[in-house]
Order: sequence, then C-alpha cells, then structure tokens
Amino acid sequence: AGGVPKPLPSSGPKSLREMPHPLATSSSEEMGPALTPSPDLLLPRSIADKDLGLPNGTPVDTSSPASSSSLLNRLQLDDDLDGETRDLFVTVDDPKKHVCTMETYITYRVTTKTTRAEFDLPEYSVRRRYQDFDWLRNKLEESQPTHLIPPLPEKFVVKGVVDRFSEEFVETRRKALDKFLKRITDHPVLSFNEHFNVFLTAKDLNAYKKQGMALLSKVGESVKYVTGGYKLRSRPLEFAAIGEYLDTFSLKLGTIDRIAQRIIKEQLEYLVELREYGPVYSTWGGLEVELSEPLEGVSACIGNCCTALEELSEDMTEDFLPVLREYILYSESMKNVLKKRDQVQAEYEAKLEAVALKKEDRPKVPTDVEKCQDRVECFNADLKADMERWQNNKRQDFRQLLMGMADKNIQYYEKCLTAWESIIPLLQDKPETK
Amino acid sequence: MEDCLAKKMEITVSEAEKRTGRNAVNMQETYTAYLIETRAVESQSEGQCAPVDSLWRRYSEFELLRNYLSVTYPHIVVPPLPEKRADFVWHKLSADNMDPDFVERRRIGLENFLLRVASHPVLCQDKIFYSFLTQEGGWKEVVNETGFQLKADSRLKALNATFRVKNPDKRFTELKHYSDELQSVISHLLRVRARVADRLYGVYKVHGNYGRVFSEWSAIEKEMGDGLQSAGHHMDVYAASIDDILEEEEHYADQLKEYLFYAEALRAVCRKHELMQYDLEMAAQDLTSKKQQCEELATGTVRTFSLKGMTSKLFGQETPEQREAKIKVLEEQIQEGEEQLKSKNLESRDFVKSAWADIERFKEQKNHDLKEALISYAVMQISMCKKGIQVWTNAKECFSKM
Repeated sequence: AGGVPKPLPSSGPKSLREMPHPLATSSSEEMGPALTPSPDLLLPRSIADKDLGLPNGTPVDTSSPASSSSLLNRLQLDDDLDGETRDLFVTVDDPKKHVCTMETYITYRVTTKTTRAEFDLPEYSVRRRYQDFDWLRNKLEESQPTHLIPPLPEKFVVKGVVDRFSEEFVETRRKALDKFLKRITDHPVLSFNEHFNVFLTAKDLNAYKKQGMALLSKVGESVKYVTGGYKLRSRPLEFAAIGEYLDTFSLKLGTIDRIAQRIIKEQLEYLVELREYGPVYSTWGGLEVELSEPLEGVSACIGNCCTALEELSEDMTEDFLPVLREYILYSESMKNVLKKRDQVQAEYEAKLEAVALKKEDRPKVPTDVEKCQDRVECFNADLKADMERWQNNKRQDFRQLLMGMADKNIQYYEKCLTAWESIIPLLQDKPETK
Repeated sequence: MEDCLAKKMEITVSEAEKRTGRNAVNMQETYTAYLIETRAVESQSEGQCAPVDSLWRRYSEFELLRNYLSVTYPHIVVPPLPEKRADFVWHKLSADNMDPDFVERRRIGLENFLLRVASHPVLCQDKIFYSFLTQEGGWKEVVNETGFQLKADSRLKALNATFRVKNPDKRFTELKHYSDELQSVISHLLRVRARVADRLYGVYKVHGNYGRVFSEWSAIEKEMGDGLQSAGHHMDVYAASIDDILEEEEHYADQLKEYLFYAEALRAVCRKHELMQYDLEMAAQDLTSKKQQCEELATGTVRTFSLKGMTSKLFGQETPEQREAKIKVLEEQIQEGEEQLKSKNLESRDFVKSAWADIERFKEQKNHDLKEALISYAVMQISMCKKGIQVWTNAKECFSKM
C-alpha cells in the first residue's frame, strides 16, 4: 500500500513524543484523558477501519473517550506511521452563526497545533468563514501554480430547498473544510506556504488580505505564468495519460453521483409508501380481537423500518454525495493545472524555436530560455509528485467512502432485521384460553 | 372433523393447460383447464398407493360449484374462489389472465379452495362436491338438476339495497359491519402493498447500475480495479435478488386476498339472515293485518282506514253471506299464515344456530390462518434483511481490498 506523502523533516526542536497529543488537551470538551500515542503502534486494519478518520490522521468524529476503539481512532492509522513525525495538526470545528445588520454567516473554529519553526506559537485558535477559505485557495493557486490544490465545497447553494443554516448543511460543509485544510497540511510544499500560515494564525485576516501582494514569500518567488498564446508540440506520454485518466475518472464519478441520487430518490418514494402501509395494519388491529396485538406489532415494526430507511438516506446525502462531488471538483482543478503545464512547455518550445531560427552562433543558450526550461522541469516534477500523492489519497478516500456506503446499508438491514426478529415471538404467542 | 373428506382423500390441482374450444354461441375461445387429481388415503402405508383419479375442470365449473354450495348452504361461510381477474397488481405483474404466473397462482388458489371445502365439516359431505371431484362427464347437468338456481334469492344480488328490519339481530348487524370494515381494510392493505412492492423493485434495480459503472471505472484503475470490479458484481447480485423476494411476497398477498373474499362470504351469510328476518317480519305483519281484517268483518267495526271499507260505505254494505264467505277465506289464510309463520320461525332459529356455529368455526380458522400469514411475512422480511446484509458485507470486503 502506498504511503501518505512524507512531510519534510521538521526543523522544530520537539518530536511528537515530547508534545502532548493534540486531542489530549482540555481545549475541547470531547477530549478524554491525556494520551501519548506511540507512533510505532501499527494497528490491524479491521479494527482501525471501523471508525476511520482522515488519511492524514486526526479523526473528525470523536466517540466516547472510554471505549478502546475510540482510543485507537485518535492514533495514526496510516502505513508510514512508524518513524514518521507529524508536526502540524489542523482541525475545523465548532460552527457558529453570526447575525449582523448587513448579513448572516457562519464561522468555524480553526485549531492548529504545531512544532514547526515557521510558527511562533505551538497552538493557535482562530475563527474563519467560507470566504476566508476561498481566499486561501485562490492564494494557493496563485502562489503554487505547479501544484494540485485541494478543492473546496461548492460556494453557492443552487437548490432553493437547501437551508444554508441547517445543521446538516453546516456539518457537511464543516467536514469538507476540515478535509481541505488537512490535505494542505499533508502536502510537503503547500503546508509551508506563507498564506496558509497566515490563514492559520492571524487574528485579523482581513487586514492581511488588504495588504495583497505586499507580503511576498521570503522563500520563493511569486511566479506568474502566461496563459494562452502558445501551441504545444507534443505532450509527454505520462501527462497525456493523466489527462485521459482524469477525463474518464470524472465521467465515471458523475455517473456514480447520478446513480446515488437516483437511489436516494427511489428510497424516499419507497419510504412514502411504507409510511402509509404501516398504519393500515394498525387500523386492521382495531377491528380484531385476537389478532389485535400481532397486527399492531407488524405496524410498529414497519414504522421502525421507516426510521432506519430515513437514516440511511440522510447519511448517503450528507456523507456520500459531498465527497463524490469534491472529487469531481478536484479533477476539474487538476485538468486546469495540466493545461497550465502544457502552456509552460509550449512557451519553452516556442522560445527555443525562436532562438534556433535566429541562427546566431552563441555557444550557450540565452538565460530566459534556460529559465523556461527550468520552469518546465520544475512543473513536471512537482506535478508528478502531486499526482502520485493524489492517486494514493484518492484510493484511500474511495476505499473509505465505499466501505462507509456498504456499512450504512448493512446497518440499515441490521436495524430492520432486529425489528422483524423481535416480533416473531409476539406473533407466535398463543393467547390464554378465553 | 373425523368424517371430513380431506382426511380420506388426497386432492390436488396439479396442472393447468391452455385449451381452445367453442363457447355457447359457437365462437372460438381460449380458456385454461385445470387437472384435479384425487387419491384415496390408505390408513396402512405398506407402500401400497391407491390409484390416482383425475379429471379436467375449467374456472367456470368451479364457479358453478361455489354458487351451488352458497345457495344450498346459506348459513355456511363458503370458502371463496381465487380472483377471476388479476387485481392489486404492481407494475411487473401482468393483469392478463393467460399470463403463466397468474395461471400458476390461480392453480394454487383453486387447489386451496377444494381443500377448504373438503375439510369443512358440513360441506365435505355434499354429493355434488364429491361428484365434482370424481365424475368426469355430465356433472353440469347433475348440478342443474338440483334446481338450486330456483332457490337462489335474486335479492342477494342487490348488495346494498336496504330492507327495513324492525328487530335486527344485533350480533348479525355487528358481524355485517365487521365484514364491511374487513373488506375495506384488506383492500387498502393490498393496494398499498402493491405500491410498496413497486417502489422496492425500483430501489433494488437501480443498484444494478453500480455494477456497470464500477466495471467501467475499474478499467482505468490499477490497484483499485479488482476491488471495484468484484464489488460491482455483488451490486448486480443485489439488484437481481428482488425478483425472488417479491415473488414470494405474492403468496402473502394471496393469503390476504383469500380473506378479503372470505369477508364477502361472511357478509353474504349476514345478508341472508337479514332477508330471512325481513321475510319473517313481513309474514308476521301480513298475518296480523289479516287477523285484523277478520275481526273487523266479524264485529263490523272499522278500526283502520281501508279502501274497501270506504267503498263499501259508499256503495253499500255487503250481504251477510258475502261477509261470511270473506271471513271463511280469511280464516283459512290465517291458519295457513300461522303455520307458515311457525315454520319460518323455526327455520330462522335453526339458521341462526347453525350459522353462528359456522361463524365461530370461521373466526378460529381466520385467526389461525392470518397469524400464520403474518409470521410467514415476517420470516420473508427477515430473509430479505439477511440477504441484504450478506451482499453488502461481500461488497464491503471487496471495497476493503481496493
């Protein structure tokens, strides 16, 4: 199994063992006793998978602190666990509604715990709203154009039926935003990005936003790539293959999305009929004497199945569909990066050709053409590394997603099974002789 | 139940066959014939099997039999026939009488009908029933010779026509009300169940699409491919499983339908009692008025207004001889009437007694059968849930290998 991307060796002084586990602090009410996890602990997949968190570590859900499975949940569940030191942990939680004169909006708490030198403090807690995440993503795209930037959940809610402030919507969004930051945290280059740092730490993000381009990264240069104008000669095979793959991949995901939606729709229509079906048994029970209890039992049983079905549909809507859509968005943004790469290569090829045509007998290649060549090679290298990382994450994400879907269906059938099994004795019960 | 035919004879409706023939107006028609096989049950089983007798009957002959039984035994809740035309269908089921599934379910229903009659303490002893099972030719003539059609009360056909009964028997009134409600609730149940089946079918079948898309997706994946492909196969299995599940459920629906029609039979008994009571009251009323007339003629007083009385007043009174003659006629009629009333009363009391006995028998049978039906329905649901768990567990296993 491929590993999660290895972060650059931390320049921080502390190792994980010295630092208290992020989930062990009292800053969150859900936390249990302090835990110092051993990174050498490799867990059998079967137990770990039950409440799997995100591939990069910190689980989103926390269950009862006392149970052993939740204990295992909080520990690293990835293959490269041993010997690996994670020095940056980011969580998104605690959504709050803000009502102002001009608008109403939601903010989320973004908590950071780190030992990296790039951060002044070991801990941060800030509040951010969706537009802040959107700003971050744009900044990352601008400043790291050779890398794949994870997608954000959709900005606008198209259907009028969805309530922007409903618990379900906010929770779905929170999970997606949490995933977004964790994917950046995981990335060896993006996680060191200046804007990311500010996003995690600044008390007043708006002030920073206004400064715009004034703050340039000390490490790298802000590179802007020319878009358009050059025609690409030949795309390297591997990038052509990636492009084709992404096309088919997003197509298939789109189909799966439609199928899943159709299933949910059919299930809800089934539910409507079931809701009428159950009570008829009850009505019948009212007519009978000896059959009264059995009929009422069947009615109640069907009612329980209705509840179970409702839960299944809700889970699929809230947990399954959003992740699918995320990956479709991911594919779209990746194709854009591929296009940019093509452009960079095209520009280089064009400049090279121009030099050849000039027929000047210069011993060395002009510097700007050299720069172009560097750019192409950098881009290709970054992109290749990111693609590999993406493929591994994708595999883990879909494995978890599809296993989750199977799980939810199993749970649905188990609930129904329990309901029906429990009324068998009631049905078989012989009344006392009258 | 020692004497009941079902214990002495094995009865099955084993086959169904399409036939073509000529009907009453000499037009060609297609119909289905059913093979009734009977065999005497040997008390000693020494490997000695009695020979099987068999004959073919069509649905209309079953109908004739049932009509005969209904008329001949008005106080009995006569077992119903399976439905004539497919009703309460959900989209996959055909409403065509020639559809093999419909014919098959009807075959089972007809066998069930014969077994019900054969195990009824009163009906099983009927000679016409016996010859229906054993007499190949000429049975129709034998039935018609009984003249039962003449006995049939045409008023029964007018189901909802009210006959004002002055002293209704409360038990029968309540029972009639119950049978109406039962018919209503079971119809409703069957209608909704058909819709539920329809929707459930849709849910399962759409999952089949996962099979296809997972297969297509697996083609572009390296490590994920196998897991996706095999999971897709399980989705196909899941989608296909609904056909058998719903076919089994049809048997449950048939059990409910039987009692839907039984409710009708129950109502018929109540109705017959109602008419009997009505006739009784009419006869009593008629007798009373005749007695009154007699008295008036004898004493010369007119207590109630009558046209005759008025005309006689207007056009002159009768001669004493005429009056004597009238009185005599009336007295004869009164005597006849009193005898009739007596026998009608007796008839009524007998009817109530035997009807009520059969109703009690029916109630017990109904409670037992419906309980069994509910249990088998629950068992079906349990089986469906277990299959669902199995398939999704298999799929989960495949996903885990991605």
